[in-house]
Amino acid sequence: MPHRWGMAVDLDRCTGCGACVTACHAENNIPTVGDSQAARGRAMHWIRVERYWEGEYPDVTLKFRPVMCQQCDAAPCEPVCPTYASHHTDEGLNAQIYNRCIGTRYCANACPYNVRFFDFFHPQWPKPLDAQLNPDVSVREVGVMEKCTFCVQRIHAAAIDAKAANRELKDGEIQPACVQSCSAKALVFGDLNDPESEVSKLSRSDRGHKLLDDLGTLPKVTYLNRPQA
Amino acid sequence: MERRDFIKLTAVTGTSAALASCGNPEHQLIRFVPEEDIIPGIAAWKPSVCPVCSAGCAVNARVMDADIETVRNGQRGVVRMNVAKKLEGLPKDPISRGGLCARGQAAIQITYHPDRIAQPLKREGARGTGQFKAIGWDEAIAELVSKLDALAASNDQKSLAIVARPRRSRRSELLAEFARRFGGPPPIAFDLFGDDVLRRANAISFGHDQLPTFDLAQARYLIGFGADFLGTWNSPVAQNAAYGEMRQGRPGIRGRFVQVESRMTTTGASADEWIPVKPGTEGVLALGLVHLMNRGPERTAPQAAAASRADAARPFQGGDDEYTPQRVEQITGVPAKRVERIAKELAELRPAVAIVGGPPLAHTNAMFTALAVNALNTALGSVNQPGGIFFTPGAAIQGPAPSPQTPYTSLGTAKVLLIDDANPVYTSPTAWKVKDAIANIPFIASFASFVDDTSVFADLILPDHSFLESWVQSSAESGSLEAASTVAEPVMKPIHNTRATPEVLIEVAGKLKAPVSLPWKDAEELAKSAQPPATSNQRPATSNQRPATSPRPPASSPRFEEPRFDGDAAQYPFHFLPYLSPAFGDGSSAHLPWLQEMPDAMTSAMWSSWVEMNPQTAQKLKVRDGDLVDLTSTQGTLRVPAVIFPGIAPDIVAMPVGQGHEHFTRYASGRGANAISLIAPIAEPETGAVAWAATRVKVARAADANGTLILFAAEMRERPHEYKVR
Amino acid sequence: MVIAFALGLAACGSQPQLSDAVFTTAHRSPGEAARHFFNSHPRPQQPLAFPHKTHIEKKAECTDCHETVERGPVAGIPSVKACMICHSQIATSKPLIKEVTSYSDRGIEIPWQRVYGFYPESHVRFNHAPHIRAKVDCAACHGDVANMTVAERVVDHTMGFCVNCHKQKNASNDCLTCHF
Repeated sequence: MPHRWGMAVDLDRCTGCGACVTACHAENNIPTVGDSQAARGRAMHWIRVERYWEGEYPDVTLKFRPVMCQQCDAAPCEPVCPTYASHHTDEGLNAQIYNRCIGTRYCANACPYNVRFFDFFHPQWPKPLDAQLNPDVSVREVGVMEKCTFCVQRIHAAAIDAKAANRELKDGEIQPACVQSCSAKALVFGDLNDPESEVSKLSRSDRGHKLLDDLGTLPKVTYLNRPQA
Repeated sequence: MERRDFIKLTAVTGTSAALASCGNPEHQLIRFVPEEDIIPGIAAWKPSVCPVCSAGCAVNARVMDADIETVRNGQRGVVRMNVAKKLEGLPKDPISRGGLCARGQAAIQITYHPDRIAQPLKREGARGTGQFKAIGWDEAIAELVSKLDALAASNDQKSLAIVARPRRSRRSELLAEFARRFGGPPPIAFDLFGDDVLRRANAISFGHDQLPTFDLAQARYLIGFGADFLGTWNSPVAQNAAYGEMRQGRPGIRGRFVQVESRMTTTGASADEWIPVKPGTEGVLALGLVHLMNRGPERTAPQAAAASRADAARPFQGGDDEYTPQRVEQITGVPAKRVERIAKELAELRPAVAIVGGPPLAHTNAMFTALAVNALNTALGSVNQPGGIFFTPGAAIQGPAPSPQTPYTSLGTAKVLLIDDANPVYTSPTAWKVKDAIANIPFIASFASFVDDTSVFADLILPDHSFLESWVQSSAESGSLEAASTVAEPVMKPIHNTRATPEVLIEVAGKLKAPVSLPWKDAEELAKSAQPPATSNQRPATSNQRPATSPRPPASSPRFEEPRFDGDAAQYPFHFLPYLSPAFGDGSSAHLPWLQEMPDAMTSAMWSSWVEMNPQTAQKLKVRDGDLVDLTSTQGTLRVPAVIFPGIAPDIVAMPVGQGHEHFTRYASGRGANAISLIAPIAEPETGAVAWAATRVKVARAADANGTLILFAAEMRERPHEYKVR
Repeated sequence: MVIAFALGLAACGSQPQLSDAVFTTAHRSPGEAARHFFNSHPRPQQPLAFPHKTHIEKKAECTDCHETVERGPVAGIPSVKACMICHSQIATSKPLIKEVTSYSDRGIEIPWQRVYGFYPESHVRFNHAPHIRAKVDCAACHGDVANMTVAERVVDHTMGFCVNCHKQKNASNDCLTCHF
């Protein structure tokens, strides 16, 4: 049976610290765009921490929610792509193939989660900042769309290692950069086709829900509510 | 571009494009033979220690090969090197436990920063203009030696001043030894946002002159007083890990968390219940809880704790008698019923623990507040108990002794100043006039890696290696229930012509006309000389380490006094709350582009500084998000964009510290405003620490939004009231 | 665009070029862009005529010099240090070896030009090791280098070439297998 990669985000553990955001930049060669482009909404964050204020002072609450590509099973980004750059893999990932992408940005329009980012310019790394770039991940050029891949390079690397050792992948062996960095362990990644995996167990939790569930996008990211105090 | 320029340019381009052909070595840089073995494409992992804050998380660096431009024998070229690619927490480290915060991960950009100082620099232009010329190491060291020799020749060793970052490492010790053996005064190590009040209070209450560690993983109830322990305070990575376990790590048990503070921090946002209080009254609430635990129906806690409960309030003048729920309501603004309910919860849900830190300990009555929360922990029986408060064993107190009030006064008479990893011009209240004092010192040498607000005044810069290129060492003060000490070799070879500061100092010491001998021969020996925790009490007599303390009484038996504030309430109607930025801390990581572009968790602001105000206040001032306001304290005026912030009282405005550097690389220079410049230099009387939350300001609308406030995806938001054609 | 024009020098895959202050994905010249677009790989001019055949005849294995090919993504162009492991003793009087020794003495790598390789915009993350483990012969992708003197690009690494082999061997042909 093929794997079906998914994630669980325990909002009761998440403290909004932003470690995942930086980890993602470090792992995935995500450029910084600078202040003037950021002001135009062109900053790229494959994962971001959203916040929701409720109530008025003094009875005010704030809730955090890390949002990355939800890797939907019925992904609105896929059917709109004229070049199949955005497509579904056998392991359930929403792949974005940069060299197929011609930059129509239809996918970003279709995505209800706003997790797709367009390279408006050639990314720049003043030297020697480029020495940090991860050779296991492509550097995207101007005119393509990019988004969270669930750190597919880490999935591949672990799968190659497991195959070389002639064994099955272990639950928890693959950690995308955000999951690895989270000190509160709010993020859990694994195979949803393995009912015993940590992520499967968490996804079945009665605290669990999907983001914008009623849109029918069938996300593979499950959020676990913070219990109401 | 002018048309003519364009034609010229295309002509040039055409020629060079024609000349250059792929596969021709002529246009390539020379490739030098690497000094080390390179295994291309395969990652290795090497341990190091994060330098960003004082928590001392051990990190795991992913090391792979990359081409680095360099100069060898006057020839420019590239060399393949094994370099760090990514930082993660070191799984076996009891502090980081494999996790790492945003600042720690961004620390890798320190090493590769495009504006890092790559070789020794000598001042060329007028002081403070930032004009330097590159010089060689021999010349740089000779220059420093001659200046120190000149001091010694005129028997004026006392005029040497050293300013260093307060950190618990062998490096502090080296600086102290150097100063002592040279005959100068001890280094000035000052942290404006340091925790001296809490350390002193812990020495008084528990006999430990150090920051506490909390066993949150086993706690069932947690009450925080202002401490942003999940964001910026103490050991955030360790505390986040334990917090996650407290919430969801135990089947069927979920620890409850209440946060008491006057501006919602990221930590406060995670709380089940957020209790705003009047600034500087947090201690009253804590003693009010002790009061209720000693009386009434809440006296249901375990018998074993009864004795400590009774003891808890003993140090306070009049015990806890006067802190009735009604009085607590009157002082703090927290309704008596709520105080009673919290006390009941505390009694029922054990183990329970209280945390204090941050703004409550930055008032003139901070010592009372710290002791009151300590008393609450005593009353809860949580000291050294599972789910309670601990002190990391073997944490040899290697920090420099706390500097006195107005630490930089000696700079006025200094003739030679050495600056190591500190930026006092940026992190000092305006009233101290540190900038003027530094500008008047005849000779300044800095070991900085960047031209910042302070090193821009240097006559000589002897740049240090980055932490990844250095021997590193740390023994954690807190964050772990067991002793935690790390020594690690360099992760990678230096990419620039820099030198390890300890080795520069050792070399300088040896080259003086009257040589100063230091007990270490190089950086490796210095790092390795960190004693294992077990023998840490057998420190050499020469050390300036603070001795372990036993419980001692405070100067006077404490009692609640109203906090004093700088600025008349009528003229300056708002409390000004500067707070440590989750991204930049005290500003020392503002030069890292990942952190500049990381949206702030509470406001989503990037690349900006801002002031937060309650929606009601904003409405009164007719201010909308991004509009500019003038904040004026007795110390000066700052013009900053406003952010409307629901989690703050109407009479408080808050501003993150970290931006507003005059000089700090292309990413931070001239960006935003420095909140520290508004802080009045009021001191906490017992320790002399700056009461940085005790300044009042007035706020006036200055101008419409001008785009200096940058919010994440602001353009994508629906704001029908602002529709206009672009 | 101005920067791309102004720099004007051709970039060659991963080979280091006269440096500029910024690393970017932009092409340095229209010529480079055209070359990449048409996947044209000009014939490399090697500084020395490295005789692969001679080394294989002396019973050297590919993996003796391309050391990491079985372990990692990159086969590795050997450093002059690797040459000197043998040639500090062997055939030291021959003119080519003298040239090699001269590079080594000056602490400079021999500026070998890459023969194969993907342009950055192909976004291929090729990993040698699993291919070797799957018993794909070196020659399948690199031609009969063992019988070449100077290595030549005899196999065109188009996507069709990769996909055909993946089909035959029942390996995944999902785009994401190679492009990420």
